[in-house]
Amino acid sequence: MTDTSVKKVVIVDLENKISETKSFTDLNPYFGGTGVGLKLLEIYHDKNPLIFSVGPLNGFFPFASKTSVVLDNNGAIEDIYIGGNLSTRIRFAGIDSILFHGRSADETIIELQNTDVLFHAKDTDIQSLGLPGKRSHMYINKDKLQADGYFTTPDLYLENALLDRNIVGLSITGTETYTVDNFEDYKKLYENIMEMSDDLRVIKEGYPSCSNCPMGCNRSKVGEIGGNVVINSLVACQFADRIYTDIGMVFSCLNTLGYNYTHEDIENLPKLIEETIKKISEL
Amino acid sequence: MAKTLKPTRNDKCTGCEMCVFESQRQLKKIGLEESLIRVFRGKNENTNTVTFDIEIDPRSSVLDTEKIATVCPREVLEVVEQ
Repeated sequence: MTDTSVKKVVIVDLENKISETKSFTDLNPYFGGTGVGLKLLEIYHDKNPLIFSVGPLNGFFPFASKTSVVLDNNGAIEDIYIGGNLSTRIRFAGIDSILFHGRSADETIIELQNTDVLFHAKDTDIQSLGLPGKRSHMYINKDKLQADGYFTTPDLYLENALLDRNIVGLSITGTETYTVDNFEDYKKLYENIMEMSDDLRVIKEGYPSCSNCPMGCNRSKVGEIGGNVVINSLVACQFADRIYTDIGMVFSCLNTLGYNYTHEDIENLPKLIEETIKKISEL
Repeated sequence: MAKTLKPTRNDKCTGCEMCVFESQRQLKKIGLEESLIRVFRGKNENTNTVTFDIEIDPRSSVLDTEKIATVCPREVLEVVEQ
């Protein structure tokens, strides 16, 4: 079972090369992804954090395959969404968010093995880090981020944020496994969503695909920026918005995983996020 | 004869891992640990493109192999008689 009562956040202090894992009991109203990322940005605002987050459906349901990144770009809040394997690896690392703060004294590659954080020299071969088949890699190649050898970002906000902090690579391995109480219901719901693949706004192609998405579309390579807050808090693909903006569907998915959200909680999320952004802008 | 899965079209694999997750679901698990199917990401140095290698544990023959083959969107896997 997933622990649905807390959000687990790995906090990495780059300056002192130390990390801690914190369980937050008050972040559930923000669901995950951008919602949780923004709230963490508010809480840690004085530390200028860089926050990677997944949502409650990542790893469990198809087309919920993106990772949210939230950062403060000189007073402008940016939310970026990356494809590839990263979201499932963060989920199977047993964590909801990774928060980086401070600046490493030298260029470093950071490795997470579940919640354990290791700091490597910049010339370390990233391919030697993590467990094959259970890892995700991202690194900066000629000032542009490359995730899992293919995926990247729509702009340079994340690249600049990583380089400002002297992070040149990131390797994440996830080895946790989960089950859910009513597995048959979960399987049925998973298969129902798979049958809705015609509702996606992309077609099946043969490009490298995000983990737990069969589409292999040509749109996932460059990721996304901005968009619907419910989708971004789950963190689903924006091209699956016809599925994951259906509040009944989102409620069913969350309920099957053991979350106690109500329809009203889902409906109130945009307002909560708006209030959080306002608070950040006033800091 | 036992039916086993065989990756016959590795070159068509997009790395979506739908087969991995289906095999895990059949064992009532969600995750990558101890999966009987694993997808390894590599790189073709000549074309500078991503490649995928699929490793299938022979113990996967106890699973519903037809269903696993069907979830692959690129028909990479085939069910063969051992």
